[in-house]
Amino acid sequence: MKESKIQTYRFRTNLLLILFLSILVLVLGRFFYLQIIQGEDLKELREQNINAFEYIYPKRGRILSRDGVVLAEDRKIFSLAIDIEQKPSEESIKILSELFPEKINLIDLKEKVSNSLRYRRSEIILEKIAQEDLAKYLVRGSDLRGFSVIEGYEREYNAHPSIFHVLGHMGYINSTDTTYFSPRIENYDAKLWRKVGKSGIERVYEKQLQGEHGKKYFQRNARGDRRVTTDVSPFQEGEELFISIDYQAQKLAYELMDERRGSVVVIDLNDFSIPVAISTPSISANDLRDISSAQYQDLLNDPSRPLFNRAFMGLYPPASTIKPLLTVFALNNGYTDWDETIFDDGFFRFEEEERVFNAWREGGHGLTDLKKALVESSNPFFMNLSIRYEKDLFVEFLKSSSFGSKLCEDCYPHQFSPLIDDNWKYKNFGKELYKGDFINLGVGQGYMLTTPLHLSLISGILANKGNYQLPFMVTKKSNTLNLAENLTEDDWSKLNDSLIDVIYSPNGTGYRINAGDLMLAGKSGTAQVVDINSREEYDDVRSNELLRDHAIFIGYAPYDKPRYSIAVIVENGESGGRVAGPIAKKVLEELLDDI
Amino acid sequence: MIFNLRNTIILFSLVAIILMGSLTIYSVTSIDVNYFLRFLLINIIVILAVALIFNQINLNRILSFGWILFIGNILLVLSVEIFGNEINGSKRWLDFGFLSLQPSEFMKITFALFVIQYLRFYSFQFTRFRTLFLLAVLFLSALPIIIQPDLGTGLVYILMGLMFLFICGVNRIYFIGMAVFAVLLSPIIYSFGLTSYQKGRITSWFSSDQNLSEKWNILQSEISIGSGGLAGEGFLNSKQNEFNFLPEADTDFIFSIYAEQFGFIGVLLILIMLACFIGLTTLLSMTEKRLTSDLSPYYIGTYCTLVIGFSFLLNILMVSGMIPVVGLPLPFFTKGGSSLLCFSIMLGLIFTSRGFLR
Repeated sequence: MKESKIQTYRFRTNLLLILFLSILVLVLGRFFYLQIIQGEDLKELREQNINAFEYIYPKRGRILSRDGVVLAEDRKIFSLAIDIEQKPSEESIKILSELFPEKINLIDLKEKVSNSLRYRRSEIILEKIAQEDLAKYLVRGSDLRGFSVIEGYEREYNAHPSIFHVLGHMGYINSTDTTYFSPRIENYDAKLWRKVGKSGIERVYEKQLQGEHGKKYFQRNARGDRRVTTDVSPFQEGEELFISIDYQAQKLAYELMDERRGSVVVIDLNDFSIPVAISTPSISANDLRDISSAQYQDLLNDPSRPLFNRAFMGLYPPASTIKPLLTVFALNNGYTDWDETIFDDGFFRFEEEERVFNAWREGGHGLTDLKKALVESSNPFFMNLSIRYEKDLFVEFLKSSSFGSKLCEDCYPHQFSPLIDDNWKYKNFGKELYKGDFINLGVGQGYMLTTPLHLSLISGILANKGNYQLPFMVTKKSNTLNLAENLTEDDWSKLNDSLIDVIYSPNGTGYRINAGDLMLAGKSGTAQVVDINSREEYDDVRSNELLRDHAIFIGYAPYDKPRYSIAVIVENGESGGRVAGPIAKKVLEELLDDI
Repeated sequence: MIFNLRNTIILFSLVAIILMGSLTIYSVTSIDVNYFLRFLLINIIVILAVALIFNQINLNRILSFGWILFIGNILLVLSVEIFGNEINGSKRWLDFGFLSLQPSEFMKITFALFVIQYLRFYSFQFTRFRTLFLLAVLFLSALPIIIQPDLGTGLVYILMGLMFLFICGVNRIYFIGMAVFAVLLSPIIYSFGLTSYQKGRITSWFSSDQNLSEKWNILQSEISIGSGGLAGEGFLNSKQNEFNFLPEADTDFIFSIYAEQFGFIGVLLILIMLACFIGLTTLLSMTEKRLTSDLSPYYIGTYCTLVIGFSFLLNILMVSGMIPVVGLPLPFFTKGGSSLLCFSIMLGLIFTSRGFLR
């Protein structure tokens, strides 16, 4: 019995010892695997644990006008933040809230501190502290452990509202922005950017302006209460951008609009750059920076649409201002010449469809040739011409005058003037274009719509004898295009004379501009907002200001050696000659004075 | 005490393990050298004092208090529910001001003393009733530990208790039966018997999702161990510890810091010394020619030796990610009064049962 107990004891002890040694060998195998086989990889993971970096936000590039005015620049701002390396004490939290009683609430601050420490994120307490507040803080600095002043940049714009639409604005990045920039900027990393250009130059030149992040390398512990900076690579400032806008002229144009809705666009015919592009009403670009969503909603709902860039986006019937361009079309295809005359009795009878079109002047212009038709703006003359237009040639001509295509690569957002062809009419009315449509198109009404930018370009095409380039603000991309090869030098000079007479002949629709020695040539127009048939009807309509006609003027100066072309649109301004024309005159004077 | 080669190796291994343990504790806390010396001194004094006290006391005297100690211990475990400090959602500690004790740690010892006293009374004659009674006592006394809840200590207590009954000669049929039963019952226990904290610890061990915080702990521990490589980063050079990436670096996960500092060579050395200490001490009784009629000192001595050995291995298996994290102390490494006292008492019992390494 005793022997068997001893044997059992010995046997079982041996068994347990073998089990012990087996596990020990297993453990040794595990440590061999971890330390020898996986050792290097795990060490790499350890280094990743400890060594981290954060980005230093770069300073964005400046934007300057062609006359050297700074339109946008990043300004250094100081913010007060929680320093998570030194936990703020109860006492310093209290001192801080007493230091800025109207800006900091003690309870909010306590919550911010505890959140900041929990998520290891340096929360900002006061964004953009003013100089005197900064001084107040620095005086008490030694009592305020756990807080630090951090540097940052903020976009500061020239406050004048005239430049807002051209420059655009910055805003917090969203998925739409990511979709926009990803194909346009190589290796675009959306996570790196807090704010990006939302519109205008800021958006189109995001890549050039944004600069490159710096990096701050540091070692940190798991609790986040210890951080040692080991290396810093500085950021690279964004490129400085000169744009073609002439600040003085831009400002003047905006002020001349005098709160009326509309747009002025000027093209410099030396290189087809855009020195003036305004849209009224507008806001100061700085206003969008710290705006609340309610205020933003108010701006969006404002019936005068201050955020809408009329210069590149607004579509207006060109009305009579299209007549010179259609003159080029008619001459180029031999539909008429300078000698043909018709009798204008104030009506145009379209016999095919038995319709009668009213002209704007009662009684008409009498015996009218092409030049008189341009100077006095005879609708019956151009309506009579338009029934001769062949559809294919007409569409082709619109296409080569940049209808239906993008005009300007730097303009964002941008809308092109629709190309009126069978496709367009099918899409909108389910029918193809018929003859009667051309009667309206022939006087710039009906379906025809153009942007102010496009009108200015059309004016430039006329000034430059059919040769033109696509307009731009920063980068020139286009080749010279030619519109009408069949026009002779004589045709062009007669057209030029006609447009001069519009301004300088007492019969001219632009005579009241009193252009003086500006040497202005141009064409005025009055675009109907509603379709009406008689003057009596219009007098009824006039009582509602928003239904009054748009005043349009296109022109160029000086007419002997054109330098600038211009388009002015004053919504519901009624008279192209009297309302839009004088604005064009003063803007062009300002620009030509500089030379 | 006889200084032959074997005893010298046993003592040397033991002292080396205690020394390495103290050095590692120092490297984790690394406040200053004085602190380390004080700690080392306390460690050695406690171990020697407890061991010598128990060595002086006649084992028979201790054994005659077996059931009182055992019941007293159970009462202390229960009193934790009332007076204890709560940590990680479980109450385990009794605070005595100068030191806080975890009474459940001592159950491993008192249960063994109780069993010996009980079996002696019946001259080690097992009947079915006595066997079932002892098993019932073991499982029932584990309940207060498990509901603390401290599943790890409870399970280890049950395993060690079973090991003791195995050493004492309980029929192997019972162990086979219990193994089958445990395998069949484990899914049911998992579904109904565990708190979410315990489930989290177990599921994290099986799941591959590295984001779970439990898995994160194990990953950080493995990173520590792996970073040690072959030769280690050197004493006081544990970056995982310096940058606080390893949780509970001074208690459950201390061995990872050891492995980072001393590398695979260090691990190998400590395991060799452990094997020497455990193996040679256990074999003492095997070569004993004068095994007397009363085997109880041998049972106790072998049991305490193996408890130290297996506790060591279980902790290392845990920190190297081979078993779930269950909060087991590492003998002579872990900073904590209960485990130091507990393992010191075991050393004392080993010495006294072996006649101080005869």
